[in-house]
Amino acid sequence: MSEAGIIEKLKEGNEKAFSDLVSTYQKMVVNTCYGLLHSIEDAEDVAQDVFIEVFRSASGFRGDSKISTWIYRIAVNRSLNFIRDHKGRRGFKSLDEITQLPKTLTGDNYSESGGDPHSDLENSQRSILIHAAIDELPKNQRIAFTLNKYEDLSYKEISEIMNLSLSSVESLIHRAKKNLQKKLYNCYKKKCI
Amino acid sequence: MNCKAIHKKLIFFLENDLPLNEMEEIRLHLAGCQECAAFADYMKKSLSVLDQERNPDVNPFFYTRLKARMENQAIKETVTPLWARILQPAVFTLLLLAGVYAGIKIGQPAKINIQESYYAEQEMFPYLYEMAAEPIETFLME
Repeated sequence: MSEAGIIEKLKEGNEKAFSDLVSTYQKMVVNTCYGLLHSIEDAEDVAQDVFIEVFRSASGFRGDSKISTWIYRIAVNRSLNFIRDHKGRRGFKSLDEITQLPKTLTGDNYSESGGDPHSDLENSQRSILIHAAIDELPKNQRIAFTLNKYEDLSYKEISEIMNLSLSSVESLIHRAKKNLQKKLYNCYKKKCI
Repeated sequence: MNCKAIHKKLIFFLENDLPLNEMEEIRLHLAGCQECAAFADYMKKSLSVLDQERNPDVNPFFYTRLKARMENQAIKETVTPLWARILQPAVFTLLLLAGVYAGIKIGQPAKINIQESYYAEQEMFPYLYEMAAEPIETFLME
């Protein structure tokens, strides 16, 4: 079914079309939200909000962009709203706060690989540190970097989602990587892991 | 290239974002510099976390939960129709304003018309000062 056809069906409230849309874009939306939120439970909650909004605002979709671009925009906005509303929560710690924690405490979410506990702990610490470093990036750099890294989107696709020029996106991602490297280098010098 | 320059470009090297000649230069430097190689390894491991995290498992109950949530929201909307959702806060606001107004009115001191009350005060005077007119000593003597 064409994109226009899907939207037409959604406008009519067709449940089958909605179910197809969810199964097509579920992974993409959850992955995008996960890239910004770093928690699978939160990402699934926000992804549900995204699909509810897609269903309700289908009538307002003019078809100027691709459905995926529109859904990406909603997913990014919803995730940022979620971060804003839950800023004080435990999950969103700054890099400085994390590097202050004793090393054993930062490894509270072991991977379930069943492998070496030491390597699990190290991976867990790495994961927390890199998430904190990403969270500390300026908003636009964080969005561009996450879309590029987690969704493997091209700079052109990111520029369409963020309504920016191609050169702005290139610059954002370049600066995001430089900032990330700086933060990781500081952490490396402090021997966080 | 010195170590400082290598550190600045390391992330781009790891992501294959550099021209071939610079890639080769960094590769040669890393082969000979233990400190830079250690940092490169640290960066590589940190960035690989993101690659591992990509595409988390799809929850098979996602659509079921989504439908349940949409139905719950629809029920809530039918239980409290739009007019009720607007009228309820309006009524509460009016009640609150009425309460505040009543409170202000009760709290204001009563205004006394001095000219009228002057005579009343005069009339009341003997009663108010009854004890002066009939002191307690006289009363006890009797």
